[in-house]
Amino acid sequence: MRRFWSPKRTQPAEQPIELRLPSTLGYEKVAMDTVATVAARMGFRPDQIAGLRTAVSEAVTNAIEHGNSGIRNAEVHVVITVAGNALTVRVRDQHYRRFNRGYGYDRPDLERALQGEDVGMGMWLIRQFVDEVEWTGVPGQGNEVRMVLRCQ
Amino acid sequence: MAFLDDTLEVTSRQHGKVTVIDIKGDVTTFADAKISEAYTTATEAGAQQLVLNFHHSNYINSAGIAILIRIVTSCGRNGQKLAMSGLNEHFQKIFRMVGLSQYADIYETEEQAVAALSS
Repeated sequence: MRRFWSPKRTQPAEQPIELRLPSTLGYEKVAMDTVATVAARMGFRPDQIAGLRTAVSEAVTNAIEHGNSGIRNAEVHVVITVAGNALTVRVRDQHYRRFNRGYGYDRPDLERALQGEDVGMGMWLIRQFVDEVEWTGVPGQGNEVRMVLRCQ
Repeated sequence: MAFLDDTLEVTSRQHGKVTVIDIKGDVTTFADAKISEAYTTATEAGAQQLVLNFHHSNYINSAGIAILIRIVTSCGRNGQKLAMSGLNEHFQKIFRMVGLSQYADIYETEEQAVAALSS
């Protein structure tokens, strides 16, 4: 019987798990549940898993609402990779848009949010719950967010 | 609407002078109309103390937080007191991180929130 990853042993990387989700709000929950299942098997704490669910939710929702906006039959591609104690989740959409790189570093300005401004809440939340995050984009191909959380 | 969207139920009830708005389901962009309608109805009925009760809600995203920010803003503008209850530890943490707790007190239970607003 094939053993799943154990946090107590160093093993080769598992084969990535890939999801191709319809670009429709609500499907982010499929990604959240899948990542949470893998994270639980890796031995992540419940609070880390809850944070990871939020990060994945924001990344997939961002891909649906912004990256794939206006594209018919678009998909969101999610790749989950386990390597050692690291869980990596990549979320890719199909349309390149330049990100506002200033977003997500500082705590959202609630006073501005109270005035109805977009303050980059989603990107900031992602940063709070993962060890590494990187946004990249290739013109003509799409945007990708790569998130890494390590099991301590 | 995708089949994965949970049915969201938003209902209101009175605890003395406190209006409790129960939110059952996902607090995402789809929750906007129902939560806003419940708040507007309560306000038009003269509510001055409100509790948003999330006891049956396990998923709140940034779009949902934006809805709550608008409710907080409206409460401030209308001179209403607002409290929140029933949030699990993760969302209590997020609300504190974001700063929402500066504008609305957060309580573990509905009873605690109602008691605080009634005092």
